[in-house]
Amino acid sequence: MNAALGTAGITLGLAGSLVGAVTLAYGLVRHRPRLVGMAGVYALLIGLGALLAVFAMERALLTDDFSLTYVAEHSSTRTPLLFKVATLWAALEGSIILWAVVLAGYLGLVVRRFRTRLTDPMVGWALLTLFVIAAFFFWLMSGPANPFTEVAGAVPADGPGPNPLLQNHVLMAFHPPMLYLGYVGFSVPFAFAIAALVTGRLGEGWLLETRRWTLVAWGFLTVGIVLGAWWSYEVLGWGGYWGWDPVENASFLPWLTGTAYLHSVLVQERRGMLRVWNLSLLCATFALTILGTFLTRSGVIDSVHAFSESDIGPSLLAFFTLIVVVSVGLIGWRGDRLRSPGTIDSPLSREGAFLANNILFAAFAFVILLGTVFPLLIEAFNGDRISVGRPYFDRMTMPLGLAILTLMAVAPVLPWRKASGELLRHRLIWPAWSGAGVLVLAVVLGARGLAPLLAFFLAGVAGGAAVRQLVLATRRQGLQGFLGRANGGMVVHLGVVVIAVAFAASSSFAHEAEFRLSPGESAELAGHRVTYLGVETIEYPEKTALKARVQLDDGRIFAPALQQFPFATQSIGVPSVRTGLTEDIYLTLVAAPDDPAGEAVIGVLVMPLTVWLWVGGGLMALGTLLAAWPGRRRRPTDPVSAPVPEHRPAGRVPADEPSPEPVHALRGTAP
Amino acid sequence: MTRPEVRAEPRRRRFAPWVALTVLVGLLAFVAVLATRDPGSGVSADSPLLGEPAPLIEGSTVDGQPFSLADETGRWVIVNFFATWCVPCRQEHPELVAFTNRQAAEGGDAEVVSVVFDDQPDEVRAFFAEEGGDWPAVTDPDGRIALEYGVAGIPESYLVDPNGFVVSKIVGGITSDGLEQLLARARAGDQGGA
Repeated sequence: MNAALGTAGITLGLAGSLVGAVTLAYGLVRHRPRLVGMAGVYALLIGLGALLAVFAMERALLTDDFSLTYVAEHSSTRTPLLFKVATLWAALEGSIILWAVVLAGYLGLVVRRFRTRLTDPMVGWALLTLFVIAAFFFWLMSGPANPFTEVAGAVPADGPGPNPLLQNHVLMAFHPPMLYLGYVGFSVPFAFAIAALVTGRLGEGWLLETRRWTLVAWGFLTVGIVLGAWWSYEVLGWGGYWGWDPVENASFLPWLTGTAYLHSVLVQERRGMLRVWNLSLLCATFALTILGTFLTRSGVIDSVHAFSESDIGPSLLAFFTLIVVVSVGLIGWRGDRLRSPGTIDSPLSREGAFLANNILFAAFAFVILLGTVFPLLIEAFNGDRISVGRPYFDRMTMPLGLAILTLMAVAPVLPWRKASGELLRHRLIWPAWSGAGVLVLAVVLGARGLAPLLAFFLAGVAGGAAVRQLVLATRRQGLQGFLGRANGGMVVHLGVVVIAVAFAASSSFAHEAEFRLSPGESAELAGHRVTYLGVETIEYPEKTALKARVQLDDGRIFAPALQQFPFATQSIGVPSVRTGLTEDIYLTLVAAPDDPAGEAVIGVLVMPLTVWLWVGGGLMALGTLLAAWPGRRRRPTDPVSAPVPEHRPAGRVPADEPSPEPVHALRGTAP
Repeated sequence: MTRPEVRAEPRRRRFAPWVALTVLVGLLAFVAVLATRDPGSGVSADSPLLGEPAPLIEGSTVDGQPFSLADETGRWVIVNFFATWCVPCRQEHPELVAFTNRQAAEGGDAEVVSVVFDDQPDEVRAFFAEEGGDWPAVTDPDGRIALEYGVAGIPESYLVDPNGFVVSKIVGGITSDGLEQLLARARAGDQGGA
């Protein structure tokens, strides 16, 4: 029943996307607007198909239908309800369903948003691109990664349940969907980039119209990455949150190129420059989401996330190749027509800073891509196998990160076109004081070392620059000063600053030790007293937990544990964390005692400011929301002459103070 | 970046197609590399050390105990290069634990010694405490041991016979069964006996 429902859904989605793609292609090439306008029907079919597949799989999971291979292999009767729902994305086949349903959702939103302009070839080509992407994922589900295969032989009475790592923290229910909302969201701007290239209509602001889509996708991806870091911190028990694992890198790469795009698109909007570059960034971002999926799902790179080996590698690689060939081919064909006559007047200007930002982000992405695939390249060239580990990434990315922080400190105060030294002095006074303040505070609190102190200082300046912009905007516009791109962007900057400080502090000033303690014994670390009280075994329906009771200096009792899931060989450490505003105390049960009165090994890790990583992530999400807030802006595609640099009458604002919004600002906010 | 243009119809050199072509060729080569990679695991590999005396391993373990490979003469030794930041090494570890347990249970004459590759002793200690394994893990602070063995990537292992000669190099993760087979083959080839 479930298998039939699911297969029907996949077939419907596949048929809808294939027929839709063919219809649109024919209509676009032969100029039949009536055919192009039918896109909505096909989008509806795809949406229905994807929803049906999700419904069938969730129904199978919730009703313990072990006749489906996927359910039999990844679920169990003992799995709690929340994790049964989340098992949809606990393994490869299910996560492709999630991918398809998210894509169908975006597709529906695009159709709805542009419903009055469906016959415009620009929208037509974009929808055609989305149909092709949808067709690929439905095809994956109908063949190489079919989630609705049925078990051969007798139906098992129970299953092993999801991978233990995926069912012991509530974050696992949110981290993958957020990531997918980000990953898949990038296919919308990508589709419009392809459409712009095919139709050659690049001067019309279509890319700017899709900017908010990019922003939303980027926001989800940001949240997904931060949640993933938080999950690994709360669950994996090694006390870290970022290990440069191939999968972390795979999610980070599109984030970097997406971030670069969000900045450089402003240069295009304001000065009409960097068109080819922006298109390339959009194509690269989408291609990297597919490449990342390939790297982590094909088994060519060993990764902690390789939860399921699969044979969809070749299909993903072929799709990646298709994207690359089409994108690069179109850009090569159109590139010369798109180049704008504008040039950057002075490197010390807003557009100069955006350019530097893009170079840094591109370099960052390149360094990480190289580190991730380097072992494969070397092996291909001379058969040697090498490993690239944390040391490489730490060494290579630290200077880049500091350079980006430096830029973040200076760029927000730069005017467009050209900055004078006088102007910079005037505008950088407050940020500089704020940086100095942070630096002094850090030194007083005992921070030492060049890199962390430099990071603190730069973060202080960058934070000051962001706050200055927000203060100016709210003075001018009241609470509306928080809305819109420039101001929301500053809130995002504050989030990045907070994360940078937390990252520098937690990675530079952590104290770590392991103590072998008998019940009642205590140990000291970094001014904290840890007392081991004993251990108890707790049986849950789905797992067995061995919980140590550890008392911290303030009398509160924590319970780091080792969990044993049936059917899983490894036991899983569950850290117990005392989270505080200034430092986290991270307790793990490293080794269980042989008998209740025996010695246990307790791992203690004291990390300063860790909680601010998650706060910073929240700030970034909030800033994205403010930046994407629906305001009544002029539609960039409305016919006007090309945007010219505005000359505002000098009012309370210096003549070339960067305005919080471009010309088509929120209505009713004219000074 | 483009140079400033005069206001007339700018006559541009067409170079976008060439740039695109270059990029495309590079990316396709990259795809070709990816397409030809196997989801591989341990493979026996060639090494100039095969049949040569094993480079000396003298040093201290992460627990501060002295260690010398010379003291192990008369036993088969698997010299395993690893780091805790290396995911395949972490995956290989339980296999090594299984192998040493079996050796201990059967009174075998083979043992494992790990050499730490670009990693902190505390990390390694914590890792062994967490994942099991009671064989020595020798620190290699300046990478000298890895250099002498010619380690290219980790995990990488060398089988040293009872006379101290290198008989086999294994690139990538190894399994307990694979090690047993390798030992059996090496013993069969080891006609001289120790």
